[in-house]
Amino acid sequence: MTYRFGYLYALILAGTIASPARSEGGSDACAAGKRLYMEKCSQCHGESGDGKGVGADFFNPRPRDFTSGAFKLRTTESGELPTGGDLAKVIRNGMPYTGMPAWPRFSDGEVADLVCFLKTLNPDFADTSVHPKTVTVPKPPAYREESARKGRAIYEENKCLDCHGSLGRGDGESAPTLKDDWGNPIRPADLTRRWTFRGGHRREDIYRTFMTGLNGTPMPSFMASVKEEDRWPLVDYVYSLSKGDDPGYASMVTAVSAKLPKDADGIREALARSKPALFPVIGQVIEGRRNFFPAANAVEVRAAYDSESVAILVSWHDMSPQTSGSNSPLASKGDSSRAPLTDAVALQIPFKAPEGNAKPYFLAGDKKNPVEFRFADLGKGEIRDFLGKGWSGLTASGAAVKADARYDSGEWSVLFLRPRRPAKGLAMDRGVFVPIAFSVWDGFSGESGEHGGVTSWYTLYLKPPEEGSPILPAAARALAALAAGAAIVFAARFRLGRPGAAALSKSHLSVDTESGDPR
Amino acid sequence: MNFWVVVPMVLALIGLRFLKPGILLWLAAWWGGCFIFLRFGILPPLPSSIIGLFMAILTAALALYGTADADKLSAIGKSLRAFLMERRFAPWLWGSLVVIPLLVGFNAYRQATSEAVAPATGRTIHPAPPSEITFRGKKIDILKASNPFRELEGKDKAAFAGHVAGGRAIYYKNCVFCHGDNMEGDGLYSHGLDPQPANFADPTTIAMLQESYLFWRIAKGGPGLPEESAPWASAMPAWEATLGEDEIWDVILFLYSFTGRKPRAQERAE
Ligand code: HEC
Ligand code: HEC
Ligand code: HEC
Repeated sequence: MTYRFGYLYALILAGTIASPARSEGGSDACAAGKRLYMEKCSQCHGESGDGKGVGADFFNPRPRDFTSGAFKLRTTESGELPTGGDLAKVIRNGMPYTGMPAWPRFSDGEVADLVCFLKTLNPDFADTSVHPKTVTVPKPPAYREESARKGRAIYEENKCLDCHGSLGRGDGESAPTLKDDWGNPIRPADLTRRWTFRGGHRREDIYRTFMTGLNGTPMPSFMASVKEEDRWPLVDYVYSLSKGDDPGYASMVTAVSAKLPKDADGIREALARSKPALFPVIGQVIEGRRNFFPAANAVEVRAAYDSESVAILVSWHDMSPQTSGSNSPLASKGDSSRAPLTDAVALQIPFKAPEGNAKPYFLAGDKKNPVEFRFADLGKGEIRDFLGKGWSGLTASGAAVKADARYDSGEWSVLFLRPRRPAKGLAMDRGVFVPIAFSVWDGFSGESGEHGGVTSWYTLYLKPPEEGSPILPAAARALAALAAGAAIVFAARFRLGRPGAAALSKSHLSVDTESGDPR
Repeated sequence: MNFWVVVPMVLALIGLRFLKPGILLWLAAWWGGCFIFLRFGILPPLPSSIIGLFMAILTAALALYGTADADKLSAIGKSLRAFLMERRFAPWLWGSLVVIPLLVGFNAYRQATSEAVAPATGRTIHPAPPSEITFRGKKIDILKASNPFRELEGKDKAAFAGHVAGGRAIYYKNCVFCHGDNMEGDGLYSHGLDPQPANFADPTTIAMLQESYLFWRIAKGGPGLPEESAPWASAMPAWEATLGEDEIWDVILFLYSFTGRKPRAQERAE
C-alpha cells in the first residue's frame, strides 16, 4: 500500500489536497501520475518513457517505447493512437505472458493519473483537434460450431495462416522472418493458446484484435478485407482453436496400462488413449547463461506402460523445426562459434528412488542425488542418456539410440521409451509416484546447454489397471460393516439381557419408565 | 481456514454443551467435530494421511480422557448400555446400523474411483539459518551480521538513496521474473514454480526476518537450504555466483524500501 502514500504525498506536493483535479491534461494529475510512473513503471519503460529502463533487456517483447506512439491494444483504427480508456485497460489488465504486469491494486484515480502522464510522453496526444476513429465491437452472437467451420475458409482467404500457421500454432511460412517496428524478432500468436493473448481471450477481444491490428507489429488490421458477416465466424474459428480460457496446467501425468507394440506408430496409437497433461515451461533464469525468454511456454505429456517399458510422449509448439546442426545439454560458455543449433528436448527423472521426500535438484540434479537425463537431439534424431549432477556435471552414460521425433504443423512430438526396471536407475513400479521434469531447446532462438526452457518437478504415476467395476467391492465392504455392526449389537444385547445381568436390566427398565417412554 | 465450516461447528459444539449431553455423546461430538474441521475446515485441504494421523492421536486422547477415572468409565459404560438396550434409543441404534455400512460402502466406492494424488510433501519455509556462511571465501556471521548501509538511512540520506537505487536496478534485472514487479511473488514465471516465489509484501516473509537472514537466503538460494526445506525444488537462485556482497545488501535495502516493511531487529549479541 506504499504507493497510496506516495500518491498522497505527490498530491500534497502539488498543493492540491483540497481539490485533487484529475481532468485529463491537468498538470497536477499528471504530476501525480509521473511520480507513480517513476516508482512503478520507469524501471522497465525508462525514465523518459523511451522503453529503455534498467530491466528492459530482460523482456521479449520489450517494454513499450511510449515516445513512439505505437500501441498494440486499442479500440482505434490501425495506425492511430489509443484512447485514454484503452491505456487504462492495459494498465489494469496487463499483457499476459509478457513482462507487462497487471495492476489491479491501483485506484481508478491512480490509473487516470498514469494515463494522463503517459500521454505527455508523445506530442501527438496533445493535439486534441484530431479524434481517432474508434472500432465498435458489436454485441457478440452466441458461439456456434457451424459459424466456426465457416470461419476456417475466411482464415484461409485472409492468409492468417501465412503467419499463424494452418492449425494456428504460430508456425506460418513467414513466421520466422517477422520483426516488430523496432527491429526485434516477433512471433505470431499461438492461436491454440488463447490465454497467452496480450489483449484478452474473450470473443470480443479477438474481434477487436483483427479489426484494429496491433500497431508496431506485423499483425495487420483486417477491417477492410473481412466483410461484416464474416467477422464473427472468423472470431469463432480462432476461438475454437483453443481448448479453454485457461491452460489447466497439470501437476501429474498418469501413465495408463496398455499393450505397447514394437513399432513407434503402434505405441503412439496406444498413447493417444491416455489423458494429456500440460506442464508450464519457464526460462532457465537461475544459473549459468540464463534464458530470459524461452521459445516454448508449455509441454504436453502423455504416458503409458506395459510389463516391460514406459512410453512417454512429449510435445510442444515450435515455430520452425531446426534439424541441421546439433545441440547438447552440456553447459556452454556462451561461445559465439554459432554452429547451427537444432531443436532438442530432455526428460529427467531421479537416478535412484527418492529417500523420503528427497529429490535431486530440479535443474539437472546434484552431486548427492543425480538424475537420469535423457536428451533427444532432433537434428541427429537420437536420444542419449546422461547422468546429471547439475548442468556442469552431465556425463554421457550410454550409447545413443534412434529417436522417434516428428514435426507436424508447428508441433514437435518426441517418444521416449524406457525400461521399467533398467539395470541401472530407478525402477518404475505400478502405483508409485515418480518425479519427472522436462527441458526444451529451440535451435532457432539459440537455445542450448543450460540456456533453455525448463520445468519444475512434476509427477509421473503408473496407474494400476482397473479390475472390474468398483461397485462390487464397495458393496462387499458395506455388507461386512453391516454384519460386524449387527454382530456387536446382538452379542451385547444377548450378554446384557442374560439373567447374570439382571441388575442391569432392572436399571434399564427403571430408566425406561423414568424417561416416560409411552411404549 | 474455511470459516463457513469452522464457525457453525464451534457454535454447534457450544450449543451442545448447554444441552448437557451424556459423556458418550460429548466424546462423539468432539470426534466428529475435529474430523470435520480437519477435513473441510482447513484450506488448502490437508492430505488424508495427515488427517488420519491427527484422528488417530485424537482417538487415543479421547479414549484416555473417557477412561481417566472410574466415574467417567462407569458413566460411559452406562450410556453405552442404555444405547444398546433401551427402547427410546432403538431408532438411533437401528439407524446407525444402516447408515454406517452405507458410509463405509460409499467411501470405498469413492476411493476406488477417485484419481490418485501424489502424496503432499511438507516444507519448512523459514528454517533456522546456519550460524556462519562462507561467501566468496569470506566468512560471514549470519547471527550477528548487519546491513552495512542501513546506518546511512539516518546519517546520509543521499548516499542511502543511492544504495536503494542500486538495489532497484539489481531487482529488475534479476528478481522480477519470479518475485514480480510489485514483489507479491507473482512474476512472469511464478506459475511454473513450486514452491512459489516468496511474496515480500506479505507480513510473514521479510517483515519478520533479519537482514542477515535475507543475506543468507539470497547468497545461497534454494540449493543452500537444509533438507526440511526441500532444497531440490526451490527455484530461488544462489546469487553468490552473480552478485557481490555489497550488491546483495543493496537489493535487501530495496526490498524493504519498496514494500515499506521494516526488518526484524538484530538480537543483541550477549
Ligand atoms: C516489469 C516490466 C514492466 C513494468 C514494471 C511495467 N511494464 Fe508496461 N510493458 C512492459 C512490457 C514488456 C510491455 C510490452 C508488452 C508487449 O508488447 O506485448 C509493456 C507495455 C505497456 C504498454 C503498452 C500497451 C500497448 O497497447 O501496446 C503500456 C501502456 C504500459 N506497458 C504501461 C505501463 C505502466 C503505466 C506501468 C506502471 C504502472 C508499466 N507499464 C509497468 C513491461 C513493464
Ligand atoms: C503478417 C503476419 C500476420 C498475419 C497475416 C496475421 N497475423 Fe495475427 N498476429 C501476428 C503477430 C506477429 C502477432 C503477435 C503480436 C504480439 O505478440 O504482440 C499476432 C497476434 C494475433 C492475435 C493475438 C492478439 C493478442 O491479443 O495477443 C490474434 C487473435 C491474431 N493475431 C489473429 C489473426 C487473424 C484472425 C488473422 C487473419 C485475419 C491474423 N492474425 C493475421 C501476425 C500476423
Ligand atoms: C527463478 C525464480 C527466482 C528468482 C529469479 C529469484 N527468486 Fe527469490 N525466491 C524464489 C522462490 C521460489 C522462493 C521461495 C522458495 C524458497 O524459500 O527457496 C524465493 C525466496 C526468496 C527469499 C526468501 C524469503 C523468505 O521469506 O524466506 C528471498 C529473500 C529472495 N527470494 C530474494 C530474491 C532476490 C533478492 C532475488 C534477485 C536477486 C531473487 N530472490 C530472485 C524464486 C526466485
